[in-house]
Amino acid sequence: MDCIVLVKGVPDFREGKVSFKEDNTLNRGATPTVLNPNDQHALRAALSVKVKHGGNVALMSMGPPNYKSILREAMEIYGDRAVLLSDRMMGGADTLATAQTLAAGIRKVGVPDLIIAGFKSADGETGQTGPQTAWVLDMPVITHVIEFDVDEKRRTVTAQRLDGQEVETVEAPLPAFLVTDPGFMAHYRMARHRLKLQQLSEETRKRAERIDAVYAQWSLADLPVDPKLVGLKGSPTIVAKVEPIPVAPKERTARIFRGDNAAELTQAVKTIAELVAR
Amino acid sequence: MSKGNHRDMWVFCEQNRGEFVPVTLEMLGEARRLMDKYNADYKESEKVVAVVMGHHIDALAQSAIEHGADVVYTCDHAELEHFRLEPYTKLLAKAATGKDAYKTYDKPHYFLFPATNNGRDLSATAMAALESGLASDCNLLYIQDIPIKHPVKTRRGEAIEEIVYPRILHMKRPDFSGFEWSTILCIDDPDKDFHPQACSVIPGSFKPLQRTAGRKGQRINVTMDLPPQAMRVKTLKRERLPIEVDLARPEVVVAVGRGIQKNPTLGVKLGLELAQALGGDLGISRGVVTSKYPVDASLTQFTKEARQIGETGQMVKPRLYIALGISGAIQHKKGMDKSRVIVAINPDETAPIKEFSDVFIKGDLFDVVPKIKDQLAPVVKGNGGLPSTRKGGK
Repeated sequence: MDCIVLVKGVPDFREGKVSFKEDNTLNRGATPTVLNPNDQHALRAALSVKVKHGGNVALMSMGPPNYKSILREAMEIYGDRAVLLSDRMMGGADTLATAQTLAAGIRKVGVPDLIIAGFKSADGETGQTGPQTAWVLDMPVITHVIEFDVDEKRRTVTAQRLDGQEVETVEAPLPAFLVTDPGFMAHYRMARHRLKLQQLSEETRKRAERIDAVYAQWSLADLPVDPKLVGLKGSPTIVAKVEPIPVAPKERTARIFRGDNAAELTQAVKTIAELVAR
Repeated sequence: MSKGNHRDMWVFCEQNRGEFVPVTLEMLGEARRLMDKYNADYKESEKVVAVVMGHHIDALAQSAIEHGADVVYTCDHAELEHFRLEPYTKLLAKAATGKDAYKTYDKPHYFLFPATNNGRDLSATAMAALESGLASDCNLLYIQDIPIKHPVKTRRGEAIEEIVYPRILHMKRPDFSGFEWSTILCIDDPDKDFHPQACSVIPGSFKPLQRTAGRKGQRINVTMDLPPQAMRVKTLKRERLPIEVDLARPEVVVAVGRGIQKNPTLGVKLGLELAQALGGDLGISRGVVTSKYPVDASLTQFTKEARQIGETGQMVKPRLYIALGISGAIQHKKGMDKSRVIVAINPDETAPIKEFSDVFIKGDLFDVVPKIKDQLAPVVKGNGGLPSTRKGGK
């Protein structure tokens, strides 16, 4: 039961890491890049498949050469091998061009039983790349997956997915494409699975330390794809402008109280009580 | 530069169990406004075209017309009762690329989708199928000509020229926790058309039109004729979930923001205690969601996205809203600025939230909250929101 997990590097939005410019736009140069937090769910999903059904888990990302660190971070959760698709000609891609590139990388690895992606990246937040990659590969896709099981004999995956305030149970034939929801949980009900989980987790952390042995970087020339479909050339959209969101006009006139002054705080409480009672 | 023939603004009208989700009517209203202006500006007569899929959807088709559509494409079939990504995508692409009693052009000029879970997924696969581009989660749209210089789009041989692209849908989306606003354009290449220009629309961004009962429009039926291959993802069961966190209900909402960073566990705990003391519930800002502050395991349920207040989270308008350490990015403001009374506790008097607060307490939430909690509780009592206060069965 082979899997490919698609991962992405994003700016580290944690306090103390993220850096904004004076106009409140992101200072990309000064903000470190980390594994997209939502991708952890996709990695845990692939790990659960490995624990229960064996096979191989390949990690794939597209980005500059230093994204190797992203793949290493991902491999600490789980990965048997990692591939980075990296080429200047892939740069500036929008979601459709990214989907074309990833689909080509997947074809080169060989379409596995399951491809798993996380729900939307913390930077672009489009949530488009997963479904578009599935579409390019003409695979059945299940999005917002919170739980799933694979039936090896019937060659199917049964998944529970969130649809607003409803949970839908769906079934698709393998190979299939899953997009995990942030609410995804892997379940290990059998003791032998929990033991296997522990063993595989230890192994993958060691493997991540020496990632070079299982790491490949592919350029555009390595991929079975029409160069016109990738990078800037393959992107229908452009970002014409990035501006800080304007500060809203004054709508209410705040009464101001000093928090370090007991009398003013008492007055603040009184004012709140009056306003609420009005 | 555009070689194909493109017309109209299409709108995918999402419905659930026979009712449009609210953003559907908001999109129809905005499409109407955009195309009325477009037709006046460019002396055209392009239309608003609604796409409605489901089962037993006659009333919905009429409702789409009465809310601003000129033409409605319907696909009515038992297999389509609930949203299904693959068949919906294929049928939508068929309608958008085919010719019929109404449509003689190649592809829609523009396309709007709801930025809901299903709408976003459909926008992605539909635009992959139509080989065009889209911007996700937009909250401002307008159509105008724009001069562009771009290394690929406007390259003519070795030279990069400035070219004026006419009638471009400008799609603006808030990025990065609501601080940046990007303008996304879908632009033709020298050798390839990219149409429709598409986007998904954040719920609550636009106003629906007043319904015009009896408004007439043209209806086109799309035949459900997909091969079994397109139905390969099968629905086995659907169950309704109890609402996990409904912050629209309590009369008091206390929300915490990035101001909790120096001690996230204590910050969340203080917010929670204040909310409980006031009989309300706890919300969080987008910043808390994206920052992934480490908090004590017993409190992680309170820092989940389900509690996020703002444009991309829950919209609340309680009797009393107390913002602890929240700067007041526009993203957050949209989710709470209709609250009756807004109180902000923030050490930074220049924080934008001051401009839409009734009471501003200049101070650190860690100092102020313990001091005012007990004073505030007897004078302000909400209707209960937290599970622990809900037991009274109010």
